[in-house]
Amino acid sequence: MKLIFEKSIKARDGYSLPKDLFDEVDIKSCIPAYAATDAKKALSEVSEVDVIRHFTKLSKFNYGVDDGLYPLGSCTMKYNPKVNEKLASLDNFVCAPPLAPEETVQGCLELMYDLNKLLCEVTGVDQYTMAPASGAHGELTGVLIMRQHFVDHDDKRHKMLVPDSAHGTNPASCTMGGFKMIEVRSNEKGTVDIKQLKDLMDEDTAGLYVTNPNTVGLYDEGIRDIEGIVHGKGGLLYYDGANLNASFGIMRPGDAGFDIVHLNLHKSFSTPHGGGGPGSGVIGVKKALIPYLPTPIVTFDGKKYHLSDVGEKSIGMVRAFWGNFPVLVKTYAWILSMGPDGLGNSSEASIINANYVLAKLKKYYRPAYDRYCGHECVLTGRDYKKYGIKTLDIAKRLMDYGFHPPTIYFPHFEPYAEETIMVEPPESESKEVIDEFIDAMIKISNEAKTNPELLKSAPHNTPIRRTDDVLAAKRPILNYDDELKLKDELKWRAEDINF
Amino acid sequence: MRYIPNTEEQKKGMLKEIGVSSFEDLIESVPQEVRFKRKLNIPEAISEAELEEKIYQIAKKNSDFFLMKPLIGAGAYRHHVPEAEKFLLQREEFWTCYTPYQPELSQGTLQSMFEFQTYIARLTKMDVVIPSIYDGASATAEAALMSFRLTHRNKIIISSTLHPHYRKTVETYIAPHEPEIVELPYKDGLVDIDKLEKLIDAGVASVIVQNPNFFGGIEDLAEICELVHAKGALLINAIAESMSLGVLKAPGEMGADIVAGEAQSFGMELNYGGPYNAYLATRKQFLRQLPGRIVGETVDADGKRVFVMTMRAREQDIRREKATSNICTNHGLNILAANIYLSLMGTEGLYKVSLLNTKAAHYLENLLLKSGKFKKVFHYPFYNEFLLKSKNSVSTLSEKLLKNNFIPPLEISRFYEEEGLKDVLLFAVTEVLSREDLNRVAEILAE
Amino acid sequence: MAAKVIEGFYYTQTDEWLKVEDNVGTVGITDYAQDKLGDIVYLEKTEKGKKVKQTETLTAVESVKAASDIYAPISGEVIEVNEKVVEDSSIINKEPYGEGWIAKIKIENADELKNLMGAKEYSEYRKE
Repeated sequence: MKLIFEKSIKARDGYSLPKDLFDEVDIKSCIPAYAATDAKKALSEVSEVDVIRHFTKLSKFNYGVDDGLYPLGSCTMKYNPKVNEKLASLDNFVCAPPLAPEETVQGCLELMYDLNKLLCEVTGVDQYTMAPASGAHGELTGVLIMRQHFVDHDDKRHKMLVPDSAHGTNPASCTMGGFKMIEVRSNEKGTVDIKQLKDLMDEDTAGLYVTNPNTVGLYDEGIRDIEGIVHGKGGLLYYDGANLNASFGIMRPGDAGFDIVHLNLHKSFSTPHGGGGPGSGVIGVKKALIPYLPTPIVTFDGKKYHLSDVGEKSIGMVRAFWGNFPVLVKTYAWILSMGPDGLGNSSEASIINANYVLAKLKKYYRPAYDRYCGHECVLTGRDYKKYGIKTLDIAKRLMDYGFHPPTIYFPHFEPYAEETIMVEPPESESKEVIDEFIDAMIKISNEAKTNPELLKSAPHNTPIRRTDDVLAAKRPILNYDDELKLKDELKWRAEDINF
Repeated sequence: MRYIPNTEEQKKGMLKEIGVSSFEDLIESVPQEVRFKRKLNIPEAISEAELEEKIYQIAKKNSDFFLMKPLIGAGAYRHHVPEAEKFLLQREEFWTCYTPYQPELSQGTLQSMFEFQTYIARLTKMDVVIPSIYDGASATAEAALMSFRLTHRNKIIISSTLHPHYRKTVETYIAPHEPEIVELPYKDGLVDIDKLEKLIDAGVASVIVQNPNFFGGIEDLAEICELVHAKGALLINAIAESMSLGVLKAPGEMGADIVAGEAQSFGMELNYGGPYNAYLATRKQFLRQLPGRIVGETVDADGKRVFVMTMRAREQDIRREKATSNICTNHGLNILAANIYLSLMGTEGLYKVSLLNTKAAHYLENLLLKSGKFKKVFHYPFYNEFLLKSKNSVSTLSEKLLKNNFIPPLEISRFYEEEGLKDVLLFAVTEVLSREDLNRVAEILAE
Repeated sequence: MAAKVIEGFYYTQTDEWLKVEDNVGTVGITDYAQDKLGDIVYLEKTEKGKKVKQTETLTAVESVKAASDIYAPISGEVIEVNEKVVEDSSIINKEPYGEGWIAKIKIENADELKNLMGAKEYSEYRKE
């Protein structure tokens, strides 16, 4: 589709400003010569009408949760309640400056304080920081807290253990935290290899990252042993909360011995994904680690709420200000709407959904592990290699049936988790929708054998056809001006995409 | 429960098809010792109407900020957010969709990111733009880490007029590298260039300078860059008030190597501190060291021009422990917000509003100085924020302003303990304050 | 489909090959490696004069879906770099053993060849 720049007409505008532009103030007396420029920066020149049409059209090339199933394993794309959106957009929240005097923002502070209490109860830890903006940001915060803990105890450790099944952010966070990442194998059951863990865990290892259920959707039965081994050598246990949706009312990470917990509020807690955020990756810790939390945290003196300094052992800050506030409002609203039974039901319904998919599709797509799963199941496309079909082809063909594909190629660790298709149908998905999905997957499985070309050239019914990612990487065109420089060499079709 | 469609009966049927007699069979691998056996001690579920009432009551404990005009900035600025933008953002296809890993279903998100990358490249006059890191502070921190990787040096000079939160964040992020951190003092409200000349050497990876700085001061970035480059170091330009890009010379024209810019001013509401969105802009040769997602152009199977996430081998899901950063979910929707904002403002509008910001700020400073109740602390040129020392008690002043529906300026001693900055206020003025408002402010403060 | 191997070359467990002529070793990645990576979009340029130890990182290669370090099969100094593949990395996919060579190393210690595999051994190692 045409870019906004290609729709620009000279002298067209879409802004609204007051008439009084303080013309009597001479700009030359404001801006020194060394920073002054005569040329206006060229943006686009379009009307408000053009902008509305442009972005409305663009939106129709997207696919949201309100359109249909988004079975992305590890992402928990559940329904985003609309009342929560409204509450997060109340003017008194939206227009609150972060540095406004404390007495003017008692509402914000009260909400953050109450949310902390709720999250602590739900996960079994003692205090949360609302600062991290995403899961990965939370992981970084967690790793820095772990580092600070050891520095504070004069016990410098250099290594961190991460399962081979871990989400890529885990090892990346370790490196950012200054640790050397050591991989722990998964056993044939898909869970942490206890024997190898025992061999690897020593007094130079800060701890272990665990997701439970893990990234292949399996609960780790060895969780008590894991805790014993890691704590036994003075290490810390970090819980990656990406899969918390399988744990409400079943297991609390704090009870299982985890010292640090991060939650993805945009996953288990229903806040919208926004095309890649914003989310929130709040971090909860057990009492002993509270001194290391990023500063500040919200406290209550019996009468008023305050933003209080954590103290000199704090790791500092991981972002400006206090947190992704509207995401916190939506989380708070969701927990209050669900109550204890609703939370338990979320986990129960999502676990049943995932196991249902596993049961119905396992004879068409060999599962990575043939055992009951948590809230997501991992199938594979391994058996279609002989027809020349890659898992990618299956995913692209699924789009023709009106579904967003599940997560593919993650997790990936040999020998079981290869050519993976990770399916997570959260509790907000009905049996009928899931049956349609299963149906489509079965049809594709037949097509793979009888008409593989259909998959290899998929998708056919989407706004655009399969993209040439190799070309994109080989010849980077990263903004419109790059394209203009190459204009003569390029041979695009000039038509607009019509959906 | 209205968010969970499957009924008890349906669930029973599904359990049967799975081949188990009860739900408990599915979770038997969770050891009994860690099982949560009591009921969660949280309030019972409330209805939608009860929820609305409860949250409204909480919101009422805040001041009625919508009608209050802020004189405070310090990294978060109240600018007018156009209704057309808010309307478009709420389309579910933008609001509820996922990260654009499947380009065939995400051209809306991807094309918008590409357009935003173009806007920022033009505003900063840099070659490549990463459209989203969480905020200005974390973006500056990522830039610092990037500079260590690019130069293989472990010393960094940080301006004392870098936003205090940005500074703390940089120090937190770089702590595992155990670098040498040198503070660059200010002189008369701007970076002390003479001091910089003495401090910079061939062991320095980068120098971080905020422009306009925390005091609102406009730095001579070109002169700073010359000194920095002479020793093979990189200049990181942090920007907290991106509105300034509308009228100031672009950082790329002055020699900046990495720009870490907070884009909140481009169409993002204050929201008590976040989420905002920051961009990282740099030179072509540093592209592979950039953290975060970037969108590029390519063709599809029909030869149409399309957009995809590219250069992904830098990212965590592929590179894992060797990734340039761990960043995954960013602030995607805010990229869209900024993109729509810039599209509505356009070339003319952004220039005009940017100009208006600085003119209105100078107008107010003038009024306040004329009143005799304030005096200048430094004599630096500023954009839309400035420091003034108050002759009256700062707390009475704040009270008076609040009573009259103005949010008071920042007391700079909250972040700077110098004797010379006692009773000094950091005023911010944006286009949401009219001439009448500013006259009224001066009146109130002159009493 | 069996990946190609060349007789007379040495191989590492990390899928690099080494061709020895006099005291100079030419390094590249095997057919198995290029197939696994997919279309290679970028090769980091190795520095001439760089000294490496056997199994240390020599350079890195990127495809659309993966990134991989290339390890030195033998210790020594990099005396020549193939500029052609830096410019057009697809050559590595097309001719991994020929035109797709990456660097030449002056061999420090010929004894280290003992640590490498021969064509047959590598074939067995990478049998699908």
